[in-house]
Amino acid sequence: MIHREKLLLIIQREYLTRLKSKIFVVSTILAPVLMILLLVLPALIQTMSGDRVRQFLVYDETGAVGQELVAGDSVYYQLTDADPDSLRQSLMRGEIEGYIVIPHELLDGKGSAVFYHGGTAGMTVTSRIRTDIQRTVRDIRLDRLDTPAEVRHILSDRVQTENLTITAEGEEAADSDFYMVLGFIMGFIIYGAMFGYGAVIMRSVMEEKTSRIVEVIASSVRPFELLMGKVIGVAMLGLTQFIIWAVAGAVLMAAAGPVIALFLGAGPETAEAADAAAEVAAFSIPPIGPMIWISFVLFFLLGFLIYSSLFAAVGSAVDQESDSQQLQLPIIMLIIIPLMFLFPVSDDPASTLSVTLSMVPFFAPILMPVRMAVLQIPIWQFGATVLLMILTFVLLMWMSARIYRTGILMYGKKASFRELWRWMREN
Amino acid sequence: MSDSIVRFDGVTKKFGDFRAVDDVSFEVRQGRIFGLLGPNGAGKTTSIRMLTYILKPDSGSITVFGIPVGPETQARLGYLPEERGLYKKMKVGEQLIYLARLRGLSRQDARKRIRYWLERFGAYDWIGQEVGELSKGMQQKIQFVATISHDPDCLIFDEPFSGLDPINSEMLKDVILELRDAGKTIFFATHRMEQVEQLCDDIALFNKGQLILNGDLNQIRSSYGQNSIRLRFTGDSRFLSELKNVRVNNRSTNFAELRLLEGADDQAILREAQKYVRVQGFELVQPSIQEIFIDSVSREVGS
Repeated sequence: MIHREKLLLIIQREYLTRLKSKIFVVSTILAPVLMILLLVLPALIQTMSGDRVRQFLVYDETGAVGQELVAGDSVYYQLTDADPDSLRQSLMRGEIEGYIVIPHELLDGKGSAVFYHGGTAGMTVTSRIRTDIQRTVRDIRLDRLDTPAEVRHILSDRVQTENLTITAEGEEAADSDFYMVLGFIMGFIIYGAMFGYGAVIMRSVMEEKTSRIVEVIASSVRPFELLMGKVIGVAMLGLTQFIIWAVAGAVLMAAAGPVIALFLGAGPETAEAADAAAEVAAFSIPPIGPMIWISFVLFFLLGFLIYSSLFAAVGSAVDQESDSQQLQLPIIMLIIIPLMFLFPVSDDPASTLSVTLSMVPFFAPILMPVRMAVLQIPIWQFGATVLLMILTFVLLMWMSARIYRTGILMYGKKASFRELWRWMREN
Repeated sequence: MSDSIVRFDGVTKKFGDFRAVDDVSFEVRQGRIFGLLGPNGAGKTTSIRMLTYILKPDSGSITVFGIPVGPETQARLGYLPEERGLYKKMKVGEQLIYLARLRGLSRQDARKRIRYWLERFGAYDWIGQEVGELSKGMQQKIQFVATISHDPDCLIFDEPFSGLDPINSEMLKDVILELRDAGKTIFFATHRMEQVEQLCDDIALFNKGQLILNGDLNQIRSSYGQNSIRLRFTGDSRFLSELKNVRVNNRSTNFAELRLLEGADDQAILREAQKYVRVQGFELVQPSIQEIFIDSVSREVGS
């Protein structure tokens, strides 16, 4: 049915012209940079905005708490003798940022310290003041009771808890938190990729239609061959991009150890130190099993195939990008729904809700890798989901090709859902 | 006839309730220039899209070289659509090779033939340029090369002259005649009837999806006899509307084509014209295609 040589030619063109395009090069470099920025930026902003000097006056009736606070940070806290009324006036005039009133009875475990401010204290400030006062008051009270050091240790000790996953084979996998984050990241990458590459397909169909080249192509190959070639070519492009990222990531990771060692001042003469540093760097990232990689690539591919066939149908039905939004809406909703369930699914990956949602072909590309990162899912779930997705793809591709076949020849008007339905049923 | 290249047999294509092509049968013979004529919306482009296997007829059959249309016949046809288009971001050479290979040429053959035609059109220097960087006229030449580069036996041009400047127009006409002389069959569709008279051997007239006239152009015209007058004059042209038993076509300030209807006397018309204007030319001729078309349509409606 399908002409193999023509299909290969089309795949080759779709793949190579995009591989050589500026957009591909730029997006390959920029996407990870943006992702890292997105992770690092909040922390960066935090430290940058921290340069403002903040100071709060402490009106202390206990004669002990205030001193301890100032001893801890003499810039942040400053003792004052002014009475609360005049402090209030100063605050209202904007002369001070805030003040804290510490009552007598606080050391008896009664009453409460009050922090007055002009509305400028954010969450960081209020929570810091709360913990500072709490710790100071606790220490003073313990001092007064001559509490032995052992008891203090017990009180301030953090109890370590560890999460270990035991697989069916009895292996222990450490750090399930890491795998949850990994699942999240994979879900988001697949989400972005399905959107991004889906849009590539849509735009490519639209471009061929508006530039009218499609009629020349359609007189040489079947529209279905053109569509399949396009989808396969772009899928290969997506894989290429992932491979580039994975290789670059692995190289960076391998280089990270020695680089860290270098920064720590370990010269080449202390090779053992460099090795140790590298070991530390490598150890901080738990191993990512082959099954996780395979599921990531597999579900990306299947998800891309399902969504690209939908995007292609939309692209063939419109002449300009602005007309496509109404038709795109249901597709976008299908992609976004699993994002909303990302947290509940990774929180309880074995619940009925999680299992059901992750097996729906439209949601599986995002939710299945999330579950598979966290736990070992039963093989039947994996198999059934893949099978369902393949069937969905075949059905959608068949429907989409019928819409596409008619749509690419319809110029100058924007099709409605009703028309798409009619095109699909035409012979 | 054994030398028929294209054959439509009772072909119908509907879009919803609209019959775009309605029970049409005709043949195109080898080595002829065949004109598919009719106003916009008559079914020309739909017929061509069925011939190029882009659309499938609802009923009837279409054969090319005696084979039902399909992937095999597609490779032996060259199609220049009415709506021109190429990949804007692709280089001229790469694009032409790609299109030729889609129609089954090997890379080497494609390169050789493309080189020949680009040189022929004085366009070989553009081979490394992106199509989007070229002027409209240049792009049209490239598109034309794309249509003929795989050496098809039958060429299909849909409104080939639309949007062409006079120089490119002339060049295209020469190439069409040259291809015909080389034994290629040319199938072209247009709503501009005057182009047909200079090029076509055979015609098929379409109106509202139906074939209303088909055959050798010269035979058709001579069957109508010399029943038209070409009149050139200076003066006020308003008298034309007063003439009896004639139909006025192609009217302008100093020229008119008159069709003699029943009971009309050409000499009386000449005398009448002389009363109002200076007659500079008066010639009895065969009707124009436009005239034949109008006549056929009105006869269809009348019957």
